[in-house]
Amino acid sequence: MTTLKAPSARQLLHGFVVLAQKTAQTKLTYRLSTVLTLLASVTAYCVFLLVWLEVYRRNPHPGPVTRSEMLSYLVVAFLVNSLLVMSFEVRFLQRVRMGLVAGDLLRPLGFMLFQLAQATGDLLVNALYAAPIYAVGYWFVGPALLPASALSALLAVLSVGLGFLIAFGVSYVIVQASFVLQSGYGIFFLRASLHQVFSGLSAPLVMFPPSLRALARVLPFHHEIETPARLWLGLVPAQEIPRVLAEQAAWAFGLVAAGELIFSAVMRRHQLQGG
Amino acid sequence: MRFYWVLYRTALKSIAEYRVDFAVGVITAVAMQLAALAFYWVVFTRAPALGGWSSMQMLFLFGLTALVLGFAEATLNGIWWLPYYIIDGQLDRLLVYPVNSLVFVLLSRPELHALGNMTAGAIAIAVAWPSVSPPLFALALLPVWVACGAVIYTGILVLVGALTFRIVGPWSAHLFAVHQLLNASRYPLSIYPRWLRTLLLYALPFGAAIYVPADFLRGHASLLGALVLPPLAALGTAFAAKLSWNAALKGYQSTGS
Repeated sequence: MTTLKAPSARQLLHGFVVLAQKTAQTKLTYRLSTVLTLLASVTAYCVFLLVWLEVYRRNPHPGPVTRSEMLSYLVVAFLVNSLLVMSFEVRFLQRVRMGLVAGDLLRPLGFMLFQLAQATGDLLVNALYAAPIYAVGYWFVGPALLPASALSALLAVLSVGLGFLIAFGVSYVIVQASFVLQSGYGIFFLRASLHQVFSGLSAPLVMFPPSLRALARVLPFHHEIETPARLWLGLVPAQEIPRVLAEQAAWAFGLVAAGELIFSAVMRRHQLQGG
Repeated sequence: MRFYWVLYRTALKSIAEYRVDFAVGVITAVAMQLAALAFYWVVFTRAPALGGWSSMQMLFLFGLTALVLGFAEATLNGIWWLPYYIIDGQLDRLLVYPVNSLVFVLLSRPELHALGNMTAGAIAIAVAWPSVSPPLFALALLPVWVACGAVIYTGILVLVGALTFRIVGPWSAHLFAVHQLLNASRYPLSIYPRWLRTLLLYALPFGAAIYVPADFLRGHASLLGALVLPPLAALGTAFAAKLSWNAALKGYQSTGS
């Protein structure tokens, strides 16, 4: 009789990488759909841009951010946002609906890492598409879109990684509702509405009214978009950088851990769909 | 007609069974509208008006857009499910029914979270109404504009949805581009570049049913335009949608599921 051995860390890492690669390949197969998703985001974002351009046309000094800074910020924020578009919720919902979660629970990688690996695959493909968007943005905004320094670029990349974990963590917590809901609407759009208001996607938080800004500061969403964008543009003072990154890391690991705890609790009571 | 009414009622009853979904859906729809209002809040703390529209006039645009979206979701929402119908092979079954396939698809999946969008829209219009102070008879025209807007929105969804026959996959991402264009109607078309204004007024005429009436209500456009343009745009879009649906069906190959 053979006994199953727990996989080593190296085997887990290998599984993670392979799964991320395969997800990226699958996503690249459906290029047209991905491009259309991007087109939808670009359409929505153009509206934000045009609204802000009108604001600056009517009032050249509407706040502490100049027109040029605002344009650069909005383009970088859009890029960061397009990196973080994941199909995680759709996959999760599908697997719960069809009872496939039963098989996922037996995988050596574990359910959360299995989902995270696939989300990483999404991130890799998004990075491919972000390159031409950056080029268009550069043509539109000019050198202001370049990182403030090599260190800023490096910190921003690290911050995008942490932002990705926060986005994954928030989704991982919210998506657990699919165990009790029939429709995915609430799951997808509740997160989307919170993200839209508080992430800094539509404007840097410094342009928000004080009460909205105060609320946004205590929520994790601004660390998904605003923090990486500000780091890229060199807008975060040097002495604040360690605190900002530490806050991001705390949110990222806290949310993923919370999601995992909720998932374990749900699994103790969940009755699987028989298929 | 009776058949379609029974179909619609049955579809409504079936989704009304999921009460928690209904509550979560309505709350989420309201949250989405509040998210859009939060952006208004940010913008109007930085500028007194946008494209010559005050905050209250913009609230009217916002309310009308939300009502259009809500009404379309409550009635003709089924097109969002077309990718799944194709993949599941449900469309094959539907095509042998002695019914109009497009109408059947549209009525097959109303969404109750539409109530959240409609409530948010109605409240926005009620708040903005005294400040905009339009003529009283505009109250009677409001449902006509909303219905025309819903037909235009659905018609454009069908036009773009016809691509689903070519894009194999369980996604309706391409339909989100239409949704985003509808959301562009929350802002005055006057702030957009000419090409986008033309697009939203004539090619994908959301503006005809939202911007033109709202512009009339604030006293800047003629009554004739507000009376004629919305139904004309709705008829044109519905006709184009029907043509594109028929053309797409001609090239339809079953997925064999």
